[in-house]
Amino acid sequence: MELKPSIPSSSLIDQHVFPGDVVLDLSKITSQTIKLGGGLRQDGDLISVMKGGVLRFSKPNKYWVETSQKRYVPSAGDNVLGIVVDARSDNFFVDIKGPTLAFLPVLAFEGGTRRNIPKFEMGTLLYVRVVKADTGMNPELSCMDASGKAAEYGPLKEGFMFETSTGLSRTLLSSPTCPVLETLGKKIAFEIAVGLNGRVWVNSSTPSIVVLVSNTIIQTASMSPTQQKIRVESLLQKMQ
Amino acid sequence: MEQRFANSWRMTVNEKKFIETALLSDLRTDGRGPFDYRNLTIQFGSEDGSSEVQLGQTRVMGFVTSQLVQPYRDRPNEGTLAIFTEFSPMADPSFEVGRPGESAVELGRIVDRGLRESKAIDTESLCVIAGKWVWSVRIDLHILDNGGNLIDAANIAALAALLTFRRPECTLGGEDGQEVIMHPPEVREPLPLIVHHLPIAVTFAFIGNQSIVIIDPSHLEEAVMGGKLTATLNTNGDVCAIQKAGGEGVLQSVVMQCLRIASVKAADITGKIKKAVELYKTSRDLKKIKRHPDSVNISNKLKDMEKPKLKLEKTSGSQSDDMEVESHSSKKDEHKCKAVIGGTSSWDPYSKVADADELKESLASQDVETPDQKMDVTPHEKQQLNVIDESLRDADPSPSLSVAAEAGEVKNKAESLSDAVKPKHKRKKKNLSNSDGS
Repeated sequence: MELKPSIPSSSLIDQHVFPGDVVLDLSKITSQTIKLGGGLRQDGDLISVMKGGVLRFSKPNKYWVETSQKRYVPSAGDNVLGIVVDARSDNFFVDIKGPTLAFLPVLAFEGGTRRNIPKFEMGTLLYVRVVKADTGMNPELSCMDASGKAAEYGPLKEGFMFETSTGLSRTLLSSPTCPVLETLGKKIAFEIAVGLNGRVWVNSSTPSIVVLVSNTIIQTASMSPTQQKIRVESLLQKMQ
Repeated sequence: MEQRFANSWRMTVNEKKFIETALLSDLRTDGRGPFDYRNLTIQFGSEDGSSEVQLGQTRVMGFVTSQLVQPYRDRPNEGTLAIFTEFSPMADPSFEVGRPGESAVELGRIVDRGLRESKAIDTESLCVIAGKWVWSVRIDLHILDNGGNLIDAANIAALAALLTFRRPECTLGGEDGQEVIMHPPEVREPLPLIVHHLPIAVTFAFIGNQSIVIIDPSHLEEAVMGGKLTATLNTNGDVCAIQKAGGEGVLQSVVMQCLRIASVKAADITGKIKKAVELYKTSRDLKKIKRHPDSVNISNKLKDMEKPKLKLEKTSGSQSDDMEVESHSSKKDEHKCKAVIGGTSSWDPYSKVADADELKESLASQDVETPDQKMDVTPHEKQQLNVIDESLRDADPSPSLSVAAEAGEVKNKAESLSDAVKPKHKRKKKNLSNSDGS
């Protein structure tokens, strides 16, 4: 009985959906709450799709539509790369490729107090977490994980940042590791930070490796996993 | 204000520093060397005088149009050349709608100067009546995507569009010989512009404290560069224009080095443009030659011709005898000449105006029926010829057949005027050979 509400949608999960498609009928659901992510809306008793993409479902009750685009729609819990644009007394203004600038409270750092406010130059690259993303408000960021630790968040030094689509950054983050990063990582050492907003930061000991890694990622974006593997291996052979 | 913040593209400190440090070891972010040009592709639209240039990520569309206008007072016998630029916010969020920005004006002027100062386009040939009517050529440059180095891409787009552009031919007529008669492209081939040489713009950027020189900067490099230099040269190595922008000072030796590199690149790009234009022109010429639809038309015509024959037989009694004799001598030739039309792929400028139904029919039958049609045509022709032979043998038959042939001819003319032009020629020849034979 518990599975019943997801039966009509089960056929659509992991399938391409289009605006107007009805995913769920709430009238058939009995006492179960569901959580809607980006691309879905409630129309009375019906849950319908607002943008083209792939419908995803996460147990127990989360639904959202995944797309690949250049713009980023902030959603809470995403790890993104932001650029500091401006500093005010209580907030940093950070560009995360969203429709509006995001706020990073000056106290949202590990052990942050009024006395030790970090100083960021304009244009500093930050690895941050989206804490709040409500409509009609600027998104709120944080440089701490949920338990208040700095974790890996904070400014990224050196290296090179390039912008791709949100779809590519999602494949780079997917597990098991995507073939490009796996093959590259076996041969050369580099650091990488991928934001869900389509920004990727790469760092290494020499600029040539950074250029190689970043260009490989961009060039192999539209290839199938096997093609990617072959391409990366040939590129690595050329380099040696 | 905040909204504007969100829309503008901004660069991180990391990128800036990386570009500079990587250049110290002759590396660029997109994997090029300092003097490598990005991949250049030139495409053309369906109309004459439109081009789309892709230089790496950068995309520029060029469009050339012309108009008859009054010349400037001080240059009564010269046509005019004007360049308009359109920087759409689609290409780069930093471009604003409405008034052209600084970069838009600069781009237009550099392209304009390269073409005008070097007299690349023969403006005197654009004169129709001195002091009264001259052609005004307008080049529209639309930036579709900003991936850096817009000037070079826009310049190539302008050149490619100018090379493929053709203006309608016009002649003087009327009572006083001052009236301008425009000939539509169907009647007279439009005339291409006279382009003496191709001034190619090559842009260099100077980056960092040591003023490292790179060619064809990308938009990232443009954000970092201290200054840039655009040299406009042609294949002969003549410098047509130089533009140096940005605050950074440049040594004379560096400028000379840039010019040397630019002349090599200019020759390279000229070759690419000419090749692309050549390809476009041959495909344009090939389009005029019509193959399949013609064979369908002819077979249809032949079928049609047999119908009016019957009708006309009744009315033909009123025809005079003189007509009869005249038409007799020509009718066989006419049939022969029709056979010629059917056989060869005839020149037909009317291909655009072709009847939609006919086209559909021909398209549907193209693959399957073409061999059949060839078969079709010949038996028809033979039949016709046989009939005519018989009529000739009968010495003085009713005028019906001759009239039928004529009617067919008239119908044929009505269906495609163009056919009337060439066959004339052939008819004479056939006439001669025929008279020799008989």
